[in-house]
Amino acid sequence: MYLQMGWRNIWRNPRRTIVIMTAVIIGVWAMIFLGALMRGISEQMVRNGITTLTGHIQVHHRGFRKDPVIENSIDKPEVVEAALSKILPQDARWTTRVRVDAIASNARHSGGATLVGIDPEREAEISFIGQAVTEGAYLKTGDTYGIIVGQALADKFETKLGRKLVMMSQDTKGDIASRAFRITGIFRAEMEATEKQFVFVTTGAARKMLKLGNEASEVSILLTDYKESDEVADALRGVLPSESYDVETWRELLPLVTAVLKIYDWFIYLWFLIIFIAMGFGIVNTILMAVFERIREFGLLKALGMKPWWIVKEVLAESFFLLILGMVVGNALGFLSIFALTDTGIDLSALSEGLEFAGMSRVIYPFVLITDIVAANLVVLILGLVVSIYPAVKAARFTPVKAMAHT
Amino acid sequence: MGKKSIIIFWLSIAVFTIPCGPLHAVEVEALVRDAVHYYRGSASFSVVDMTIHRPGWERTLTIKAWTRGEKDSLFTIIAPPKDNGNGTLKKGEEMWIFNPRVNRVIKLPPSMMSQSWMGSDFSNNDLAKSDSIIDDYTHKITGTEIHDGKKVFVITSIPKPDAPVVWGMQKLRVREDFIFLSQEFYDEDLLLVKAMTAAKIQMIGGKLFPRVYKMWKADTEDEYTMLEYRELLFKESLPGDLFTLSSLKNPGR
Repeated sequence: MYLQMGWRNIWRNPRRTIVIMTAVIIGVWAMIFLGALMRGISEQMVRNGITTLTGHIQVHHRGFRKDPVIENSIDKPEVVEAALSKILPQDARWTTRVRVDAIASNARHSGGATLVGIDPEREAEISFIGQAVTEGAYLKTGDTYGIIVGQALADKFETKLGRKLVMMSQDTKGDIASRAFRITGIFRAEMEATEKQFVFVTTGAARKMLKLGNEASEVSILLTDYKESDEVADALRGVLPSESYDVETWRELLPLVTAVLKIYDWFIYLWFLIIFIAMGFGIVNTILMAVFERIREFGLLKALGMKPWWIVKEVLAESFFLLILGMVVGNALGFLSIFALTDTGIDLSALSEGLEFAGMSRVIYPFVLITDIVAANLVVLILGLVVSIYPAVKAARFTPVKAMAHT
Repeated sequence: MGKKSIIIFWLSIAVFTIPCGPLHAVEVEALVRDAVHYYRGSASFSVVDMTIHRPGWERTLTIKAWTRGEKDSLFTIIAPPKDNGNGTLKKGEEMWIFNPRVNRVIKLPPSMMSQSWMGSDFSNNDLAKSDSIIDDYTHKITGTEIHDGKKVFVITSIPKPDAPVVWGMQKLRVREDFIFLSQEFYDEDLLLVKAMTAAKIQMIGGKLFPRVYKMWKADTEDEYTMLEYRELLFKESLPGDLFTLSSLKNPGR
């Protein structure tokens, strides 16, 4: 009976109902859509971080992360390789890299860059660089003078495919090592910072330049499911002695991303709450108006013998319908707008400089997390009903006498 | 002897005589090496005024310099007093700088090699790799000119494919008495980046030598660094302990 009465009551004043429903719809839409965008940003940050030469787990020589110099290389990568082949799940991929800070220079420009020696075939399965070359060709195993640079770096150096780039760094003896490379490929990355920072050569070329034997700077591992990272890392720590190796998961390798993820979690719920507060005042106001308008009616119901508790239930039923209707439409709109953006994303290239600072991509794709959707709807429904208790109780307090006196 | 063998005879004479000219690769290399050697001597001591000129700004430093062979040099600034004692030691391809104010010797890391030396138009690399012109390039004579009645060879030097040099080409002008008249640095598009030219050739230190060298960048106007020799002495040798870190700290003993 309450439900039927509530449903009929809200349509007694359709304009007011539609206005407040619109408020609920916009609120729910904003929660779902903007929530998905925020998740999209953080999701992409993680993905960027992992494919930009991080992987899910990395093994370094102890101390390399604090002081990434050539002396802190893994002396015997074959020990690590043996451990990996024993412990890693079948479908996991891994590669070794040589990585040093170096100076790139040509006739007119010079600047810092990270020289990364890669195993072209293995690397392609793990990080972004395998698919990122847009001009020229990707490195081939055994290529001794080829170098792949980012578009941004090429622009900065006013250089192009086929030109020479001299890399300088310190070799194992502390002397200056320099080697001339020829640009055989230019890559594009999600972030300009990546394009400026990394230049790629083969491990062989890097080792020759730095007078390294078999040493490697890091081993990067990509699992099929990132949730296994901790488990596999623990297993590796058990095999590789901690006095000579550091085994870290992406959470430790990308502390900034991890911190931002945590902040985002809280931020999204805070966002839900803020939207709700704005919406809540509207709901209270509308219901209150609806109640005060019908003082005589409630008095009459009381006189007919309706208990105060029943009146509370009736008013709550009204607000329940308002909320449910608003939520249904709001959810539908939210999903529609997310769906519309799944392919194209939101292109923020115009603002890319500022975004890059925060480690975001040029294009944002919304990402739906079921828990967010559930949370948003629960917040609206439960808090919506809670704030409606106030007008409901108000309505229940009217006595027939008071109602008669009211004109 | 038929007609054919006569042609072969003349051809072989032609083939054997052409390389005897100054265009022979080995001789060009020797020419460049001799020119570098003439310029550096087996050892030298000099006092040089270095003027760094910028539009609306100019300053002059006086530098005492010792060199030995192609690889070792020691520079120390003696004037103005503010910069007195600042020194640079170069051994092989490595460089150290000394700053008396903080009393510290710093070995130049690779990151600083392409930066300018003492704010001049010379980069640290220009000093550290001064002998790179001998080892890293293949030379070819592409012309001759006349300077003060003497023959000048214009040498085009192309870096060897694997040589770690940034230039796309260098052009040298070497007079037949081994004096470097100019050294031009080109990028890979063969556009001029910077050049060093010599002037005021006169007798100093017992031989004909340009008193003034000027280094200027091609794409800026009115910016150059000029070196003018006040004193120059060529010696047979200099003691080895001159080119050490301790003499970098206490130069001019």
